[in-house]
Amino acid sequence: MPRRRPAPHRRKARGTRESRFAPASEKELAAQSEALRLGLTREELQALGDYYAREGREPTRVELAGLAQSWSEHCSYKSSRPLLKEHFGKLPPDSRVLARGDAGVVALDDEWAYALRIESHNHPSAVEPYGGAATGIGGILRDVLAMGAKPVALVDPLFFGPLQGPHRPLPAGIKPPRYLFENVVAGIRDYGNRVGVPTVAGSVLFDPAYTVNPLVNVGCVGVLPRSRLLPNRATAAGQVLVLVGGRTGRDGIGGVAFASRELTAGSAEESRGAVQLGNPILKEPLIHACLESADRHLIAGMKDLGGGGLATASGELVHAGGFGQDLRLDRVPLREKGLQPWEIWISESQERMILAVEPRKVPALLAIFKRWDVPATPIGQVTAGNRERLFHGRRLVGEMDLAFRLDPPVPVLVRSPPPPAPPEDRPLPPEDLAQAIVEMLGDPNGLSREGIIRLYDHEVQGRTVGKPLVGHAATPTHADAAVLEFPPGGPGGLAVAVGSQPFLCALDPRRGGAAVVEEAAANLYAVGAVPEALTDCLNFGNPGDPTVLGSLDAVLAGMAETAELLNVSIPSGNVSLYNGGLGSAIPPTPVVLAVGRVADVDRVLSSDLKGEGDLLYLLGPNPPGLSGSLFQRRRGGPGGGFAPPAGPGLPRMGRALLDLHAAGALRAAHDVSEGGLAQCLCEMAFGGGLGFEVDLSSLTGAESWVPLFSEGGPRWVLEVPPHAQERVESGLSGLSYARLGTVGGRTGRFRHGPSLFAELDLPGLFPRWQSGFYPAPIPFRGT
Amino acid sequence: MTDGKLPLAILQIEGTNCDEELFRALATLGADPEMVHLKQFEGRDVSRDERRRLGDYRALFLPGGFSAGDYVRAGAVLGARLRGVLGRDLEDFLRSGNLVGGICNGFQALVEIGLLPGRPGGFQVGSPQAALNTNDSDRFECRPTFCRWDGGTFPPLRNSLSPGTVWEIPSAHGEGKLILSGEANATLPELEENGQVLFRWVGPDGQRAGYPWNPNGSVGDVAGITNREGNVFGLMPHPERTFRTRQSFGGRRTEPPDGLGDGGRFLSAIVSYLQRRP
Repeated sequence: MPRRRPAPHRRKARGTRESRFAPASEKELAAQSEALRLGLTREELQALGDYYAREGREPTRVELAGLAQSWSEHCSYKSSRPLLKEHFGKLPPDSRVLARGDAGVVALDDEWAYALRIESHNHPSAVEPYGGAATGIGGILRDVLAMGAKPVALVDPLFFGPLQGPHRPLPAGIKPPRYLFENVVAGIRDYGNRVGVPTVAGSVLFDPAYTVNPLVNVGCVGVLPRSRLLPNRATAAGQVLVLVGGRTGRDGIGGVAFASRELTAGSAEESRGAVQLGNPILKEPLIHACLESADRHLIAGMKDLGGGGLATASGELVHAGGFGQDLRLDRVPLREKGLQPWEIWISESQERMILAVEPRKVPALLAIFKRWDVPATPIGQVTAGNRERLFHGRRLVGEMDLAFRLDPPVPVLVRSPPPPAPPEDRPLPPEDLAQAIVEMLGDPNGLSREGIIRLYDHEVQGRTVGKPLVGHAATPTHADAAVLEFPPGGPGGLAVAVGSQPFLCALDPRRGGAAVVEEAAANLYAVGAVPEALTDCLNFGNPGDPTVLGSLDAVLAGMAETAELLNVSIPSGNVSLYNGGLGSAIPPTPVVLAVGRVADVDRVLSSDLKGEGDLLYLLGPNPPGLSGSLFQRRRGGPGGGFAPPAGPGLPRMGRALLDLHAAGALRAAHDVSEGGLAQCLCEMAFGGGLGFEVDLSSLTGAESWVPLFSEGGPRWVLEVPPHAQERVESGLSGLSYARLGTVGGRTGRFRHGPSLFAELDLPGLFPRWQSGFYPAPIPFRGT
Repeated sequence: MTDGKLPLAILQIEGTNCDEELFRALATLGADPEMVHLKQFEGRDVSRDERRRLGDYRALFLPGGFSAGDYVRAGAVLGARLRGVLGRDLEDFLRSGNLVGGICNGFQALVEIGLLPGRPGGFQVGSPQAALNTNDSDRFECRPTFCRWDGGTFPPLRNSLSPGTVWEIPSAHGEGKLILSGEANATLPELEENGQVLFRWVGPDGQRAGYPWNPNGSVGDVAGITNREGNVFGLMPHPERTFRTRQSFGGRRTEPPDGLGDGGRFLSAIVSYLQRRP
């Protein structure tokens, strides 16, 4: 752009009246930070005072606003970065990882790669669930797009308070969980479907721990030819900074500061302006235009505008390349008149990307965006050095050292491991086991997710070979992971799964961290995929609480050691702190999106039972107790402990499972998770329209009924055709497994030796399980 | 075409999002599809070599998606733009015997501009004679669905497919319930009489079965229709999503997974028909 930029302004940026705080007492600094809602700590204000003392002038409003964005927890990871480095930083180097940027990029073969990232949109969704969830999708799409990847799959792990009773009055200012749930789902539906990216996996968990602070995590996988991989940085001074996509308005101002503190009774009122407005029908052509430009090598580097808006994105884009920038804020296309320069600088208006472009390539780039009707505006230039200068008209409204602005002082934070959970007594058996199983199937955490899954287009783009629902068309059941046909021309595919274990994390964060990775990997193995990469969203409470950081520390340790055992890369991730408020705290909730490789998309393993007379096996050790399980959460009482980490046993079991599948010895596999073995068997039977008979006397490790409901260690139920019995038993030798029973009939029969202690009418139970969860329809809305 | 090519246009505007899989399917079947943005027909904001003429193609496909967001009424904005940009060209194109087809959102747009079910004696872009209303379930649903061909005038299938054939072609829409205006030539008995019913929703066993197998409550379980001449067709379900058997839902898992799926057979019939025609 600025061939005709006005002559550089020699005078220094002038402080604005409302920002005059240097020199000032600490008390005045704090008052100033509060008045401008900067959310800066005392140490940060001190560092700021020192900086301006060195500069010999007062700060401007634009400078303060931008700095508050980049110093927020949300943008800087200042509290979590040392811990991430400590644990993930020491994982062995991984040649499969091609980039760690806005999203991680992993090589698929010599020609293709995939990108993955997950992040949270918790606080916006707590105050404005429809828009908050929708813009969460919008943001994660841009992260993947920024690498030059085409988004091909979305996932959305969600956590809410209980939908119904026992009714206690909600804390003031907190929205009913049912309202949040239905509107979050509708927001994902309307944005994801319109933008044309399939939502292929996810999870929904209901628990009182999430009533005040629901969690809305959104993940995305993209694919790209390796030749299109773009850096998230400018690569030469003189490159033009082109802002593309939506116009800038007042929405989303201060969003990151909002995300970087706890929720309060007044959050909804005070922070509605911090929630952005999404527009999938601008995003869709924006994706086309960015990828077409990248294909034609017109873009040197690209970054998405998310938290902190232009201030964060353009600053990081040039600083990562070792450069500075000159920006013309008045050139930013506005949605409404009268935005102040500082508002333009930090607005989080959606559907925007910033591109670094060689000057000679700008006309060709602009032509592509024009054809797609997507605004594209040169707004500045990459400069040598590390200063940024911000102009509005002829006025210099800000000038800062980028190294200072983008790198906040690391807070001194205390971490102390949370006290270990006290040992629990043995759990008490239910009076009626059949009744207990039926109750679990009818629990909101046990019901079929079909009613939600159907609202999301999980097939657009035509790659979804392994669908989120499997089985007979009339009796669909849950899949463990989705499988996408990629690269084109086959024969391989990418499997996508999620995992979370908040209750184990609450009992023992290190164990819980390991279990999250184990669960995602077990889901991938269950469709016949080799786990390869994961991205994590770490949802935690206030980092000022030493046990919160202590838990994060332990969770990361557990995740890192399990990922290393599985040889799984962690090329990207996100941290969301300050979840909680009003005296409530969420359990540590790390959430994982994992990607695995399927060798042959024509042979995807699914969870539905397929053949009368087939044999059923259980692979994996039974946990010793029920602590943290749905059974215990429903019924209370002692749990009797939880499973130790699977350790190297997990990849060994996974390998055995994959080998058996490759040999054609498996007809179905399903990971044992929420609800335990009983739920797992029922889900498999529902999908196939078949019954089963299992004998629990074959199970070891605990009272025979406990494994029916225990959760939290990798276990699978395998369906094996009779002719493959020998092959399977030799393939599993040396591993922990049991022959459970057989497939057949229409009912679910549970025996212990000769005594039949439960017989479930599966055809009768199915309709209630399937339909009990259809959310009330929420009409289409404009976003 | 003398060079043996079969140029097919796949129309794009913002929010068209089922274009790439349709492209892959048609290309795999040996046709020569090209994605064409409506502005390339219009000649606005595009360079000279990006301009396209509808008459240079043998068929125009309107793929699924949420064109322009469908915030008003599905297909309404796309319909209005088609009318403005292509109106007369579209009529000429059809009069020359070329084929125009709409899938899901494309079907909605063709209904919107009155090409489906269409008035006799011409190919006039005009006022709608039907609507695709909000589903009876009042929600968008993505689900496996089955369609039955009962015979009809649609030339690609007329002589090659036995009536009663059931195909698995999945659907994903919120507004697919066909309602007919009842004006002359736009009643269900007339459509049936004229062989204009392309597909009916049926259950996996091939029998008409109500919700969810008719996912939207469409009159007469109609899933797709053609014009009287058979060279304009529209259907709610997505044939490009069962292009290969491996994409189909578990219910038909006994078939070899490497072959064409049911949607692939439908698209293949269209491509073969166009290839056979001079």
